[in-house]
Amino acid sequence: MTPPPLIRIEGLSKRFQSGGGLFAPERKMWAVRDLSLAIGRGEALGVVGESGCGKSTLARLVLRLIEPTAGRIIFDGTEITALSPAALRRMRRRMAMVFQDPYSSLDPRYTVTQVLAEPFRIQRQPLPAGAIAALLASVGLPDALAESHPHQLSGGQRQRVGIARALALHPEFVVLDEPTASLDVSIQAQIIALLADLRDRMGLTYLFISHDLGLVRYFCQRIVVMYLGAVVEVLPDTAAAPRHPYTEALMQSGFAPDPGRRRSVVPLTGEIPSPFALPPGCAFAGRCPRVTDRCRAERPLLSGDGGHPVACFHPL
Amino acid sequence: MTALLQLEAVSVAIGTVPLLDGIGLSLERGRILGLVGESGSGKSLTAMAAMGLLPLIGGRVTGGAVRFDGQDIGAMTDAQRRALRGGRIGFVTQNPMTALDPVQRIGEQVDVVSRLHLGLSHRAARARTLELLTRLRIPEAEAVAEAWPHQLSGGMKQRIVIAMALAGEPELIIADEPTTALDVTVQAQIIQILGALVRDRGLALLLITHDMGVVAQVCDRVAVLYAGRLAEEGPVGPIFAAPAHPYTAALIGCIPQDGMAKGALRGIPGAVPSALAFPPGCRFHPRCPRASDLCHRIAPLPTPRAEGRVACHHASPPPEGQP
Repeated sequence: MTPPPLIRIEGLSKRFQSGGGLFAPERKMWAVRDLSLAIGRGEALGVVGESGCGKSTLARLVLRLIEPTAGRIIFDGTEITALSPAALRRMRRRMAMVFQDPYSSLDPRYTVTQVLAEPFRIQRQPLPAGAIAALLASVGLPDALAESHPHQLSGGQRQRVGIARALALHPEFVVLDEPTASLDVSIQAQIIALLADLRDRMGLTYLFISHDLGLVRYFCQRIVVMYLGAVVEVLPDTAAAPRHPYTEALMQSGFAPDPGRRRSVVPLTGEIPSPFALPPGCAFAGRCPRVTDRCRAERPLLSGDGGHPVACFHPL
Repeated sequence: MTALLQLEAVSVAIGTVPLLDGIGLSLERGRILGLVGESGSGKSLTAMAAMGLLPLIGGRVTGGAVRFDGQDIGAMTDAQRRALRGGRIGFVTQNPMTALDPVQRIGEQVDVVSRLHLGLSHRAARARTLELLTRLRIPEAEAVAEAWPHQLSGGMKQRIVIAMALAGEPELIIADEPTTALDVTVQAQIIQILGALVRDRGLALLLITHDMGVVAQVCDRVAVLYAGRLAEEGPVGPIFAAPAHPYTAALIGCIPQDGMAKGALRGIPGAVPSALAFPPGCRFHPRCPRASDLCHRIAPLPTPRAEGRVACHHASPPPEGQP
């Protein structure tokens, strides 16, 4: 029997609205629509998609940094969407987040030591002796940086501080929201190696959000592909062939570092439509090479088929 | 065939700080040269030097020469250089969000280039703008020309920036990370557009990128910069098949690929040094797996290898059967 998942997400939705004041008409959009997922203990689940697909909203919803419009999130048997603020704060010790931009996610007036001591302060826990040095060592930073300010660090060092802060209270679950998107490829690879080492050493469970399918396939075990707020496909393993035309296009859009494998066809035309004006049927219909009348009229739902769910009327 | 753009051992300093050291490059018509390296390796500065834009940032060429179509850009008057930029040299910036004037309609921003550089009338310039937008596969070109920048998506804005670069009938396009700010599926479209322009119109393209995947996809040759010096340069085929410089090999190894074993992606230890503290000898030696005593003391000079050049004391030997 498979162990129960650490996280279960059921029918999660988030609606945003803009305008509605004196100057602009009210507009509404679903950033995340009716999303259900489970994340196993020790798993690294990847979520991949382009801008506006709702992946960062999902990251924030899972930790209840923002309130869902509908749906439930169950963390290790406890429904965190129903917790009181005080109970949620206690629960948050067990979860953490690493943000995309290490330049804006660290307080510029804090020293590295102050950044790393903050989680203890917020959770009203005593700061154990040697904790800062141990955290710095765990992310490969020298002690000498403990009194530095963020502006004195390189981008890669800053992101290591961000990771150390996330690990300060020994969480079980870490949401990684594009943790390498603002870094050089050489530094990205360092950070990915560090995250993999930490997962093995500390038995962490990851939700890894990225726009880079190649990176997600390297780092994660299962991959959720999102397009405009909805899951279009869940790849059961990294070697699985895509069934949704959008996933296939994403795979073909990455460039392999091999001049012998050049492509002459562009996989996709057009761009992502505005989430405020979604077409009635499949959100991908306007760019899809396999589109039919049915796709324009009716929205395909995610249906599991041999453990490889896909939301498409004409899967590959 | 003579090169359209030639950098002859160009050194550049800003104030008293030397940043580029003896960069030699050459680009012919109808070719794409990729310029790669991490942040701080000198890619954008090399592009600024090629366009004669260094004074804008307080920089100057301290050695060597930049030649465009045989003429020394450094010996030109300011007016001559201004005519060159936007005219025979088009520029595509990294961030299309900031490259467009937010309070001017799209069409006017493209029109002004051909009015200025080709002396076209308002009416002729607009006709040319619409033709360019159509050629870049922008749907409803007339409506887009009347739109404001904030009404367009990122990929559409980048096409407008490319249209502006093309409007002055350039022979050379310099594109600085033209796809970095875009979504993956849109990146592929823009790269294909740039590649097609070079093939169909015989333009030369200097493509600055940090992505070895993009280089492998479209470039004919690649020049790898590290900390202001040329590490390796040559045709993409041999360089990707058998990189001679350990830095080139490391950059290629930073890209996750299908079938890569877990744990194989390790990155390059350390970081690019600051220009205020370049290490002695080979500037890559503190991060290099092959570094020896020699590398700590003496900077390697670029030497010929397999139709290209490499600057390394411990360059990989060429594969069997190649010079």
